[in-house]
Amino acid sequence: MDTKTLIQEAKARFNHNSAKAYLKDKYDSKLIVAEQGGLWKATPELISFLYNSTDSHVVILDNYSNPVKVNREQLHVTLRKTYDFVMEQWHNEWKQLESKR
Amino acid sequence: METTRKQTMRGVLLFAFNTDKVDYYKMAINTAKRANKFLDLPVTVITDESTDLTKYDYKFDNVIIRPANKDNLKGKDIWINKGRYQAYELSPYDETLLIDTDYLINSDKLLTIFDLYDDFMCHNTTSIIMVPDDPQEKLGLNMPNSLWATVIAFKKTPKVKMIFDCMQMVQENYNHYVNLYNFFSATYRNDYSLTIALKIVNGQSEDASYYIPWNLVHVAKNTYVYRDTDTEYTVLYDHWNRGKIKKEYITIKDMDIHLLNKDNYMELIDE
Repeated sequence: MDTKTLIQEAKARFNHNSAKAYLKDKYDSKLIVAEQGGLWKATPELISFLYNSTDSHVVILDNYSNPVKVNREQLHVTLRKTYDFVMEQWHNEWKQLESKR
Repeated sequence: METTRKQTMRGVLLFAFNTDKVDYYKMAINTAKRANKFLDLPVTVITDESTDLTKYDYKFDNVIIRPANKDNLKGKDIWINKGRYQAYELSPYDETLLIDTDYLINSDKLLTIFDLYDDFMCHNTTSIIMVPDDPQEKLGLNMPNSLWATVIAFKKTPKVKMIFDCMQMVQENYNHYVNLYNFFSATYRNDYSLTIALKIVNGQSEDASYYIPWNLVHVAKNTYVYRDTDTEYTVLYDHWNRGKIKKEYITIKDMDIHLLNKDNYMELIDE
């Protein structure tokens, strides 16, 4: 018996909350990047900070709370690329799952 | 002058000791095939002489034979999980991913650890598919979160040797540590000996750099996984609500999962 038939016969309901949690588990970790001696998560806040600063080098606390002096522009580019790529994938998979009833 | 640079050898290490009920060697073969496919890494298996190495058509990069320590029970069944501390000594690799055979590799995510860690990493947080709000498992009341020996990445450094030596000490004096840390466990668990060992080596302090920065995703025993494709699975869950069962499901793809139900794992193995 294939999975679709099994789901139909069991009258199983798609659980959107669990699907949301699964996607968060899957994609949150993909936002983590190791660069310039620190570990970073590509969040909108950090990306905005890097974008709006004017100095070429800034000191930021990384995920382990270590202060790391980074090349601002370089880290901004990496995190922005990572964020856009991962969030696009996350959104696409969410749209697919949301269409399930 | 010509110079040569030694290339770092990375690989996967599996422990697979068969019991009367579970063919861990078969599970190890499936894990190895998926490690080859998704991680492109060689695989070494550690097993005992009772394993018939010719039974299945798969060749590990290395097979290491060690005596099975049958001195542990899970319920009424023998559970051969002791001796995991030997991973440090037995691994032929400079950088090792030590993985439980019931961990279903379904992405290349574990490779990321090699970019993130100093010399040792394991999971300290979990999530359970279909049970999003489940609390973290603790070593005992008022104790820290349990660490998980399901996936351990390590290099061969003096500090990492201390961690594995310490796991051996905890295993050999398990009852003492059960009393000392005041947790209940009639069954020896590598998760607990790892938790205690890392605490001892780190002077009882927390160091987040030893933890894999994402959750270990469990599939609990009341949840069933069905294979749709090689990377896509449907997860079916019996949700008890006011004395009635509601069947619920989600589909997952390209994400590693740790299956606690060995029978379910066996059903997912590609023949």
